[in-house]
Amino acid sequence: MHMSEKIIHEANERAAKYFSRRHFLQDCITGLGATALGSLLGGCNIFSGSGSGEMPQSLNPLEPRAPHFPARAKSVIYLHMAGAPSQLELFDYKPELQKLHNQLCPPSILEGKKFAFIRGVPKMLGPQAVFSQHGESRAWVSDHLPHFSKMVDDVSFLKAVQTDQFNHGPAQLFMHTGSARLGRPSIGSWVTYGLGSENSNLPGFVVLTSGGKTPDAGKSVWGSGFLPSVYQGVQCRSKGDPVLYITDPEGMDRDMRYQSIHAINEVNKLEYEAFQDPEILSRISQYELAYKMQISVPGVMDINDEPEYIHQLYGTQPGKEAFANNCLLARKLVEKGVRFVQLFDWGWDTHGTGEDLSIDYGLRNKSREIDKPISALLLDLKQRGLLDETLVVWGGEFGRTPMQENRDGKEMPYLGRDHHVEAFTMWMAGAGIRKGGSWGETDEIGFAAVKGKVAVHDIHATILQQMGFDHEKLTYQFQGRPFRLTDVGGHVIHEILG
Amino acid sequence: MFNLTTSRLLMFLSAALTAGILAIGCNSRRPVDYSSEVKPILNKHCISCHGGVKQSGGFSVLFREEALGNTKSGHPAIIPGDAANSEFIRRLHNKDPKERMPYKAAPLSKEEISILTRWVDEGAKWGEHWAYVSPAKPDYAPPAATAGNAAQNAGEGGVDHYINLKLEEEKLEAAPQADKITLLRRLSLDLTGLPPTEQMMQSFLADNSPDAYEKRVDSLLASPHYGEHWASMWLDLARYADTKGYERDVRRDFWRYRDWVINAFNHDMPYDRFTVEQLAGDLLPNPDNDQLIATAFHRNTMNNDEGGTQDEEFRVAAIIDRVNTTMEVWQGTTIACVQCHSHPYDPFRFEDYYKLMAFLNNTRDEDTFGEHPKLRLYDSVGLRKVDSITAWIKQYGTAGELSETKDFLRTLEPKIHAHNADEYINGELADTKFMAIRHGGSCRVKKVPVNNRNNLLLKYWTGRDGGSLEIRDGGLNGPLVARQSLPKGNRVLDIPITPMEGYRNLYFIFRNSSLGPLESVCNVEWFALRNDLPGKGQPGYKPVETAFMQAVNANPESMPVMWENPTEMFRPTHTFERGNWMVLGEEVKPDVPESLNPFPDKAPRNRLGLAMWITDKNNPLTARVMVNRFWEHLFGIGIVETQEDFGTQGFLPSNPALLDYLSYRFMNTYNWSMKSLLREMVTSEAYKRDSRSSPELQEKDPANRYLARGPRFRLSAEQVRDQALAVSGLLSNKMLGASVMPYQPEGIWQTVWSGDNWKISENGDQYRRAVYTFIKRTAPYPSAITFDASSREVCLQRRIRTNTPLQALVTLNDPVYVEAARSLALRMQESGGQDAKTCIRAGYKRAMYKDIIPGKEAVLEKLYRQAYDKFGKDPKAAAAFLQAPEPKKGMEHLAALTVVANAIMNLDEFLSKS
Repeated sequence: MHMSEKIIHEANERAAKYFSRRHFLQDCITGLGATALGSLLGGCNIFSGSGSGEMPQSLNPLEPRAPHFPARAKSVIYLHMAGAPSQLELFDYKPELQKLHNQLCPPSILEGKKFAFIRGVPKMLGPQAVFSQHGESRAWVSDHLPHFSKMVDDVSFLKAVQTDQFNHGPAQLFMHTGSARLGRPSIGSWVTYGLGSENSNLPGFVVLTSGGKTPDAGKSVWGSGFLPSVYQGVQCRSKGDPVLYITDPEGMDRDMRYQSIHAINEVNKLEYEAFQDPEILSRISQYELAYKMQISVPGVMDINDEPEYIHQLYGTQPGKEAFANNCLLARKLVEKGVRFVQLFDWGWDTHGTGEDLSIDYGLRNKSREIDKPISALLLDLKQRGLLDETLVVWGGEFGRTPMQENRDGKEMPYLGRDHHVEAFTMWMAGAGIRKGGSWGETDEIGFAAVKGKVAVHDIHATILQQMGFDHEKLTYQFQGRPFRLTDVGGHVIHEILG
Repeated sequence: MFNLTTSRLLMFLSAALTAGILAIGCNSRRPVDYSSEVKPILNKHCISCHGGVKQSGGFSVLFREEALGNTKSGHPAIIPGDAANSEFIRRLHNKDPKERMPYKAAPLSKEEISILTRWVDEGAKWGEHWAYVSPAKPDYAPPAATAGNAAQNAGEGGVDHYINLKLEEEKLEAAPQADKITLLRRLSLDLTGLPPTEQMMQSFLADNSPDAYEKRVDSLLASPHYGEHWASMWLDLARYADTKGYERDVRRDFWRYRDWVINAFNHDMPYDRFTVEQLAGDLLPNPDNDQLIATAFHRNTMNNDEGGTQDEEFRVAAIIDRVNTTMEVWQGTTIACVQCHSHPYDPFRFEDYYKLMAFLNNTRDEDTFGEHPKLRLYDSVGLRKVDSITAWIKQYGTAGELSETKDFLRTLEPKIHAHNADEYINGELADTKFMAIRHGGSCRVKKVPVNNRNNLLLKYWTGRDGGSLEIRDGGLNGPLVARQSLPKGNRVLDIPITPMEGYRNLYFIFRNSSLGPLESVCNVEWFALRNDLPGKGQPGYKPVETAFMQAVNANPESMPVMWENPTEMFRPTHTFERGNWMVLGEEVKPDVPESLNPFPDKAPRNRLGLAMWITDKNNPLTARVMVNRFWEHLFGIGIVETQEDFGTQGFLPSNPALLDYLSYRFMNTYNWSMKSLLREMVTSEAYKRDSRSSPELQEKDPANRYLARGPRFRLSAEQVRDQALAVSGLLSNKMLGASVMPYQPEGIWQTVWSGDNWKISENGDQYRRAVYTFIKRTAPYPSAITFDASSREVCLQRRIRTNTPLQALVTLNDPVYVEAARSLALRMQESGGQDAKTCIRAGYKRAMYKDIIPGKEAVLEKLYRQAYDKFGKDPKAAAAFLQAPEPKKGMEHLAALTVVANAIMNLDEFLSKS
């Protein structure tokens, strides 16, 4: 599209001019990279017309920017199993727990602990899956994940992750925004704020959901909190518009939309000539971008053109809202330069209150739903050489208890495990993560972390590190102080870095 | 932290530059000014290690007594009047990198060292930050009023006086006044959020009287749409929403608070009263329902219903939010950091935070799922009952009994919630909400203030008959207090109890031998202690007692409000060690920060007192913060750009004298009338200027702080919607009432554990103003959020305006906007028939009120032709585009006009206030 190239060129020229005038300021920030520019202006966005002081008003806020140091990861694919999967049926093999199956939980374990639903003295629940070791790394994986067990030499397990929130909403917020309260930016927003987007035709931070529901904490888990809203995750949907309002009204074809945007920009150009307000130039380029997004998003979001062997690999069925489709989309999106792809799959809250949400049935089905797609995603990224620059993270918001749930002191219709904050498993792969690694251990029954404890902020610090950020320096000034994703905590987990 | 110090540097530089004050290189004869010269250096280089967070070497420069006190070395670092012997200065010169300050950073410049040295030599005087000194009586005296000069009489010229001084200083030339059309559109959008009506524009253009403009100002200020517009600003601050937040995020009936705000603006409620009613309406004498509804301001905090959450944790979270919000909204002060340690830069101590919290920590709300306390809004039948009861008490009871009973019927407070019980035997707090106990089981409620009362009202439900409750004092085998059977049902039951003195540990024992081993006898939500109504034994007592219990058991409409703890339920406030609510420090009493105005002598030490302190004319911040907020909404940038931070880290005012002049007048001349204040702003010459910029102006004043030109910026999310509906003729003028649901794509609401659905409103309600759109916190209305509206999770002081492709997609393709385009096209056709040119001119004029210039007309006409040809060839597409059942001849004209209308409604000039 050439229609407004001149105008965009002009916009960029002007921006550059403003920038050079402010050269002395840039000198002040050497060593930080342009990343911290937002925070330098005390929480004001450098890109908008308001609050920007003398800063350029027509810069693209998603312009690619350099991180603090060379990054190992260009993109992140974060797979969140909303509801919290049971580590005891998937990765954390506890033969001792099997021996204690159906026995009353020793009161010493329960002392001073609080659970969401367990009351009184519950019974122990042995692993409800068959475990074996896999790959050269001899990693334990259960028979719930036969495909994934072939991929263990590409991942690093974190077996002693801990959180301090035992309810879904706050725990998901904590996992994705570093705070259990609403109002903070999500990881993807931080990353997009820091790096911008490589592909100006696509959002820098894309969210895909499956399982029929959004996560418990709602859209706040991909919200931009106090960061400008341009950094919030854009939800791409499998049904309806892939991005809200990206489809032209019925009866209007692409040519007509092109002509209409062209006309809008032509009039805006005349307006600019009269008013000389750089914000008008910015609007012209945003309309141009909108048109480009209209062209590229539906293409990226369409998996029909993928070859049959790819569909077989992932187990995808085009047109369905499914985790498998989302995994394939995630690959397509990072291929196109999207920085952060966040998948939420709902339905892992296996309390035993019903068949779907049980350890004995529901968990097995959910595992089957993700097993092939996740393995395919890793394989597919690998065969395209993308795994080296894509960080894949898998986990839930907390883990599940070695005890069988007895909600309100009652026996449950199905086997279930309650929310557990003291130890659960996550894994990471790609982009400089050690291959076939494992860090952290739990006690004999999988209740407590005994070695290699990892805090939620450590996960954040590690993700940011792989993206090229010092998590203590990626800050934003708000309410009178610099905020960061890791709050006052966070240590990079060097034990799983290659 | 490197980042921190550097960011201070830039902040200081920009602040200094923008205010036209260059701290460096000042005239050496004048004494050094602490606030503008010394404090910025301390903030930039020293305070991150020697301030509110860290005091390395036992030295801090946050408060004077700390700075002059003994350090770890045993000696003071600053000796006033003697820089040569002050370690503070010596260290700046030191060559040893281990000694030289700032440690591990670049040395200070010669100028900076010279300022600090002179400052110490001059006595190291502490100055006060500008914002903590009350605005003084302005030096500007308006010229004597003249009959012929209406504009000057309206605002008395003060605003322009101060702006012109600044323009001279900055060597900027003021632009001429904007044309009348532009001016009225600007004024109308600013005062009512809507474009002017056609009629108003015509009459304004025809009116050549000298006060033609002022008359329109007055009529727009009197328009009911005025309140709808300004409410949106306030609702961001109040974090108003229609749902509770957190996981379940279910609905709450809160719209009456939104209506209260709209009405308050429309009635021009003075800002001091506006403040007092929202912070403490319940503590005013005999508050009416409106005054209680106003207190919902602080009930807009979120409420967590999720199973397993601890109510106290989220109650504390709400209180913390209230402290932060109060200080942010009324004092422009960011105090959240003081929760953990003294403010790093501003003179607020750690304890100050909890002293403020102590004002707000004594309300009855405890994060219960029922969101008590709620104001009960009885229907006429209920009201008659209440009246009959109050009439009886007036006859037989005391004034105290009368007000206690009235309050109870209004709020069912004070009551004690199930979550206060402990020592459960064979039972538990079910779903963390209800006391649920099986046959023979029990629990304890500690320290119940029984105080000789003889009745206990129990709110419970059970599906099984045969249950009973025993209440015993002090132990499971203690003296019997009450015995009561619990019939099947869901009700409040009146249980006679043995009167006892003081506070008692009560044991609740439940029995129902017909139940299975896992079934609970009943679920108890709360209980309350009361006395029999007065006049017991008098003829006619029984029906009154019955009416009372009927009223208590009624389920009228209701909404959460603030309600103070009675003395017997006083909740002490403690500091939280390092901000952790689980680790309590010493107890604190309600008080205000020393660095601000003193607490008024006669004010009570409760929320009402806090509100009186805020609205005291000695408070240096209240008026300035509100003036600045209005200014930002009109001019696009605050006089203090950092609206949210008037502290030493915020920007300095770009025109301090102007801010103080308006603040002083807001309080003293206008007695806090917000309409009068706005009137003075919009009648200034500065407001009326043409908004055309130039390369020179862009260079000298890109953000238009000094107002050589008029304001020009994108409309707010609400204005974008409302204008589209107004211009296309779809807008509903219906005011107030429950929130509505305009068109929203399917699948936006997918909340867990909630069967709630977005159901598109009908009968015109889908076309109501944005302020009435239902706001679900975890899934806010997408088109509004795209235009930077708040999701209302926490208080938002300032919407950062963004400009993104997603915004373009909304106004191009959101069916709301496509429908508006269709409707505008119909009106274009009404004006121009089949003549495209006339139609296009009419459409543009309807949107922008002025005649389209030939260049723009040519562009739109070309678009019309392209669309016309296309639709001519493809009648099905035309029908689909117009959502007509089937193609009809001639449809291509209207379809092509719709494409043009859609383009007009996407023009920058349409989406901007100019």
